[in-house]
Amino acid sequence: MNSNGKSMQGFTFVDPERVEQIFSQYPDKKSATLPLLHLAQSQHGYISNSVINTIADLVDCHPAIVMDCVSFYTMLYTKPQGRHIIQVCQTLSCSLNGADSLVDHVMDKYEIKPGETTADDRFTLMKVECLGSCGTAPVVQINKEYHEGLSTQNFDKLLESFE
Amino acid sequence: MPLLKIDDKEIQVQSGATVLETAEANGIEIPHYCYHPALEVVGSCRMCLVQVEGMPKLQVSCNTFVGDVHPDRKVDGKYDMVVHTQNDLVVQERKNILEFLLLNHPLDCPVCDQAGECYLQDYSFKFGNAHSRFEENKRVRSNEYLGSQIVINHNRCILCSRCVRFTQEISGTSELFVEARGYNTKVAALEEKPLDNLLAGNVADICPVGALLSTDYIHKNRIWNLKKQSSVCQDCSVGCNVDVFSQTNQIFRLTPRENHDVNGYFMCDIGRYGFHRFEEIERVTQPMIREGDSFVSFEWEEAIQETVDRLKRAGGKVAGVTSPYHTNETNFMLGLMVDGILGNLSQIDGEEINYPSGFRISSDRSPNRNGMNDVCPGNVDDLISDIDEQNIRTIYILDDGVDRDFDEVWKSILSKMDFVVVQTYRMTMLAQSANIILPGLAPFEREGTITNDGGRVQWLRPSLPIKGESRADWEILMMALKALDNNAQIFTDVSQVMKKMGEKIPAYKDVSFFNLGDKGLSLNGIASK
Repeated sequence: MNSNGKSMQGFTFVDPERVEQIFSQYPDKKSATLPLLHLAQSQHGYISNSVINTIADLVDCHPAIVMDCVSFYTMLYTKPQGRHIIQVCQTLSCSLNGADSLVDHVMDKYEIKPGETTADDRFTLMKVECLGSCGTAPVVQINKEYHEGLSTQNFDKLLESFE
Repeated sequence: MPLLKIDDKEIQVQSGATVLETAEANGIEIPHYCYHPALEVVGSCRMCLVQVEGMPKLQVSCNTFVGDVHPDRKVDGKYDMVVHTQNDLVVQERKNILEFLLLNHPLDCPVCDQAGECYLQDYSFKFGNAHSRFEENKRVRSNEYLGSQIVINHNRCILCSRCVRFTQEISGTSELFVEARGYNTKVAALEEKPLDNLLAGNVADICPVGALLSTDYIHKNRIWNLKKQSSVCQDCSVGCNVDVFSQTNQIFRLTPRENHDVNGYFMCDIGRYGFHRFEEIERVTQPMIREGDSFVSFEWEEAIQETVDRLKRAGGKVAGVTSPYHTNETNFMLGLMVDGILGNLSQIDGEEINYPSGFRISSDRSPNRNGMNDVCPGNVDDLISDIDEQNIRTIYILDDGVDRDFDEVWKSILSKMDFVVVQTYRMTMLAQSANIILPGLAPFEREGTITNDGGRVQWLRPSLPIKGESRADWEILMMALKALDNNAQIFTDVSQVMKKMGEKIPAYKDVSFFNLGDKGLSLNGIASK
């Protein structure tokens, strides 16, 4: 149930104990919004409307306020993503060391543009701002791992290793 | 109490007062967008920056508080704070802020509904630069509906977030939020939960620029063509203070008028769009007498004479029906004129709605039930049984102007009547059952006083001219009274009726247009200025 009283084909957390534990870390419910969003995204893959409604109910505020928070952070996705998320750093060092050619490579190989997902849901390509590893440029983050000092060849090999 | 110096003015203030509010109260203008007295302070627009001596950077005056400082640290030995609002630094900063706010602004004042009452326009003219140094392309977005009555023009929005705070704090419905960040920031509503509460219209009022627009008014007129008349809303017993904007004989919009004893800064959409109800009604503008199944138009003299003849013939056996939709003066005059019993029609109720901010929409959707009961103390609750007991066959009805279905009791009463006089402005079902119809004024044509459910008497003022042969309701009753009784005191103006009313009803002794002013007068003794 969301605050309208309409029931959505609801999202529920599979690990209610973890939810309780998150709540126990904060003095008020609303503070748990961000960690709950991360938990929901790790379970659901992205933040759908039903996730927003569920969390709004849990933290006792309006869905619009949760949406306000979700839309602020680029690491929270509001659309379904591929199984693997390729984030290519666009900031100075990486850009000078050939980040653009890495992006072009993915675009050519999988026929997707930045922000898009392959038809088989294998990859989502994103251009991101500084990943904070300028000394080993160019850097690509795939899921939660950094891959540093990439050339087009070993990037290609790397991509093949993801199913 | 801290001593504050703003420019050349020394001001004693309460500890904890903000610089902006103190300046405003003392006639010093500090431009601002995001600050609104009814909303939380966020200090996000940066328009109200001032220089405070001893502080390294300019300060947002809306969120800078004045307090007592240690005697050793007082400026010039006596001031707790010294503020400059006019020096070169502040003047230059305002230019810079306005240049930023206008970066993506389309400068489409000629087609913008806010033009003429736009703070972006006013402040640019007063404080801004004539030119922008921005050479890149402006960000262009299309308009979006936030709710059924509100459109947002993102290009004009300066992201002050007044509207977002309004839905969070005043209506408590929280439909609006600030989406994304940086260049992509915009005010948005969730698709599944649009901005459709009964206070939604207020966001267009509090928007300092032309971003939020009411679909009801968009591209209808220009503000400088409209006549602004302060008055009172007549759609429920709260009696919100309003400004009515009209041109010749058409109302274009209503906006709330500040009154902290009644409605604060806001009004509801029932009242805001209520004026449309009177645009397409079947008006009665000519005295009419029933002949068979149809009505024939007559001159006033004949219609009044016919009415009075019938009232005289009935002797004291006349019932008068007062109306909570009419002014105190009209109801009072009916009480003077009818030599019999007084009562009223069945009450029409709506839903009582309370908002977290304290704003209220009353379940009693008539504006003047309190006043009607005050000025007609003889009003009986159970008119029907009195009519039966005394075998009354003549009735004089002040029509509410609301089309209602009559219950069986009222139907049988009306069928028993030999003679029914209905004073009305529209062809209601009640009017159709009349023997004589006397054309009165519609709500936005009336003048007089109404008393809200908190016991505050307020000045209802006309915005529209009188239509056809219609006459003011108290005046019609005066004509009848004069014809009934040669010795009757003659009133030629509504203020004279008011004076008489004050003599007869002690609670209303101080009521006069002069005393009422814009804010009204509380009968509970807490009179405001």
